[in-house]
Amino acid sequence: MTDLLRVRDLSTRFFTEEGQINAVEGVSFTVEAGSVLGVVGESGSGKSVTGLSLIDLVESPGEITSGEIWYNNADLAERVESDRPEAVDGDFVDLRRLSEAERRSLRGSAFSMIFQDPMSSFNPSITVGEQIAEAAEVQRRASANPRSTRSRTQGYGLGRMLLDGVLPDRSYTSEESWDRAVELLERVGIPDPAERAEEYPHQFSGGMLQRAMIAQALAGDPDLLVADEPTTALDVTIQAQILDLLADLQETMEMSVVLITHNLGVIARVADRVSVMYAGEVVERGTLDDVFDDPVHPYTKGLLGSVPDIDRPGERLEPIAGNVPDLVDANMPDRCYFADRCPKAMTDCLTRPPEYEVSGNHRARCVLAEREYSEADAVSDARLSGPTDGGAGAASDGSSAPDGEVSDD
Amino acid sequence: MTDPLVRVDGLEKYYYENDTLLDRLTGAEPEAVRAVDGVSFEVREGETLGVVGESGCGKSTLAETLMRLREPTGGSVTFDGDPVYDLSGDDLDAFRRRAQVMFQDPFSSLDPRMTAGEIITEPLAIHDVGTVAERRERAETLLEEVGLSADQIDRYPHEFSGGQRQRIGFARALAIDPEFIVLDEPVSALDVSVQAQVLNLLADMQAERDLTYLFIAHDLSVVRHISDRVAVMYLGEVVEIGPTEEIFESPQHPYTKALLESVPRADTDERDRVVETIRGDVPSPRNPPSGCSFRTRCPELIQPPGLDVPQATFREISDFRTRIENGDIDVDLRWEQVGDANREDRAAFVDSLREEAFDEPLPDADEETVREAIRALADGDRETAAATLRERYRSPCEAVEPALPAGDHPDACLLNEQPDDVEAAREEWEAEHDASGVGTPSQ
Ligand code: SF4
Ligand code: SF4
Repeated sequence: MTDLLRVRDLSTRFFTEEGQINAVEGVSFTVEAGSVLGVVGESGSGKSVTGLSLIDLVESPGEITSGEIWYNNADLAERVESDRPEAVDGDFVDLRRLSEAERRSLRGSAFSMIFQDPMSSFNPSITVGEQIAEAAEVQRRASANPRSTRSRTQGYGLGRMLLDGVLPDRSYTSEESWDRAVELLERVGIPDPAERAEEYPHQFSGGMLQRAMIAQALAGDPDLLVADEPTTALDVTIQAQILDLLADLQETMEMSVVLITHNLGVIARVADRVSVMYAGEVVERGTLDDVFDDPVHPYTKGLLGSVPDIDRPGERLEPIAGNVPDLVDANMPDRCYFADRCPKAMTDCLTRPPEYEVSGNHRARCVLAEREYSEADAVSDARLSGPTDGGAGAASDGSSAPDGEVSDD
Repeated sequence: MTDPLVRVDGLEKYYYENDTLLDRLTGAEPEAVRAVDGVSFEVREGETLGVVGESGCGKSTLAETLMRLREPTGGSVTFDGDPVYDLSGDDLDAFRRRAQVMFQDPFSSLDPRMTAGEIITEPLAIHDVGTVAERRERAETLLEEVGLSADQIDRYPHEFSGGQRQRIGFARALAIDPEFIVLDEPVSALDVSVQAQVLNLLADMQAERDLTYLFIAHDLSVVRHISDRVAVMYLGEVVEIGPTEEIFESPQHPYTKALLESVPRADTDERDRVVETIRGDVPSPRNPPSGCSFRTRCPELIQPPGLDVPQATFREISDFRTRIENGDIDVDLRWEQVGDANREDRAAFVDSLREEAFDEPLPDADEETVREAIRALADGDRETAAATLRERYRSPCEAVEPALPAGDHPDACLLNEQPDDVEAAREEWEAEHDASGVGTPSQ
């Protein structure tokens, strides 16, 4: 399989009054063409910011501070080569080294994104059809003239991704774009699409609106769809419908998908490869089998052990003690970020572990990829004390209360 | 697990919309939202009864009504033999001590300037239990018991993480030493690793203190993990109830089956598991379907006597009928799409809609009926179109309302055992329906 995207050492920080927050910290991964990469993690793991970083949607006070995002697109490479040879490597282009205008022209057509809450992606006072038609129109005009991309739905999801500025002209969309919108609605499984296109967002159910947002995101026929918790707000029967739809679209449209979620079941259902994130880092990555059946990192194991198994009930859950750290730079110790919650923490872990190769493309940021756990090297809880959740009944707990303020998880 | 501690009987909670004075003056009909629509079950002493269902199924309204935080529209609840809605004075006070509730966000209704200790002891203060010093001591003990530390007693909610806040909420529910706790989505806002900590805590406390739980959640894995018995709700009704193991291993109601199948498993075999997703959305509780409330989505919808088309075809025909009945199909727009301003080419109209509406092949007789209906639609006669389909494809599931029979693991589906009056109603309906001569068409 060829790679569509190679992300290298990507870091995104937020510069807030409370200090510098390292939301994404030296993250690397690869998205293969025509496949689904699942990014899984808990709140505060940096998974959403990673998604936003990929398509350059990080907003102030956030900023991508370093890293490379190599995008495989021969046409683009050829176009850019003469102006910016340093941004080109074969068919790959480093998006970080493109101008902002160049990057912007890729939104919608090369990359697109859908979010957890479809309501926030639609302007409540414009019909669903009109908004999707606008996305189609923007793409249509952009391919003719990359500088004319303006949308009235600015501020709402995909609209926001397009450009600043408001275009009050009602006849902005062409009939062609309207037809395309209806076609897209039909493609995402909305019955009576021509009728529904005339309706406003509040007339749609949650599941239908999620479909409409997907239709909007597909308007530019993107190579990559970033889906951030696309089914989290939905009921489980509707979630199953949307996952089916995403899998089907990914296959028939030969797109790649980066699926960001906290739900391991959703990952297992649709992902080919998995990146597990913790405290801004990818702590383990590999194929679905690598990560689910042969996890190396204790956090990955802990995550899998925390989920009650609907088919094998009864066993006591084995939660991970403690809480996710707060990612404020000053509070991040220079050691394995998981050490204070890790049942296997050793003296080796007091130096920040690099990403080790486990096998093939299976990587883990944990010393256990290289060595066995040994009781003799274990570090005491006292040396690692940090914010914990107390964790009554938690397997390896016993730590006392936090000293400082605890961030919200 | 012997006597029922709580007995819920035919509980109803309706909300009324369009019920302002102005609405009444203008004669607008108040519209009932049937949030809880005739629910009966028991909670036995010492058990955890899980209640699952999707959003809008009424499970949270059930919790609030059961605890008498809202007055019911109908039905009754008895707690340890006492009729909850008839209690007053000391008896009501006693009920409010013996039964507690904990919500998904226990702090949303509390003053953010209260400390953890004040939050935990508030129920004691309300019921005037102990001195201030005794209450504080109690709060310290409780903090330790729920896995926090006593010296956190003077902190404010925002200083705690989500998991810790949930522990404090639980300590508050425990403060007055209740026997029964309603837990409404207590872990659904938490990250999975923290969720597991709280689930273990709930289980430990139940064992230690002989608590009885009503555990409401949408996450089926969590419900299976914690419950002894499970009730499945759909559109304000309990459609199936029984021992957890039986509900999950041999679900009887088509909705329960669909719900269980829909849950994605965190397992590498998940990719290859075939999931028959059910279509459509949950209908509005403002206007629930006649007969069985699940019939608009049910993959096992029962065919009328004499009809025998493939099940997937029957489902598609029924969906098409619903679209016509609801006026989802805009005839003018369709004519526009056919590109025939004079509306002469009826065949083209029929072909285009027929193609769009059906993926499954139609048997000849059904092809004819469907086309006849679309022809009526093309002429703008929605009534006739709907009637044509209704006459041939009316399902017993829309005429007869299923109910929960007695027993250990009942379900409300006409395919399974039903109470005598429901069986009788169905027989009567089918006899009438057969007699009307719509029966068997030629193949
Ligand atoms: S590096 Fe050490 S502390 Fe970190 S996860 Fe691995 S074993 Fe645990
Ligand atoms: S009564 Fe009919 S519609 Fe309802 S669940 Fe049973 S088969 Fe399905």
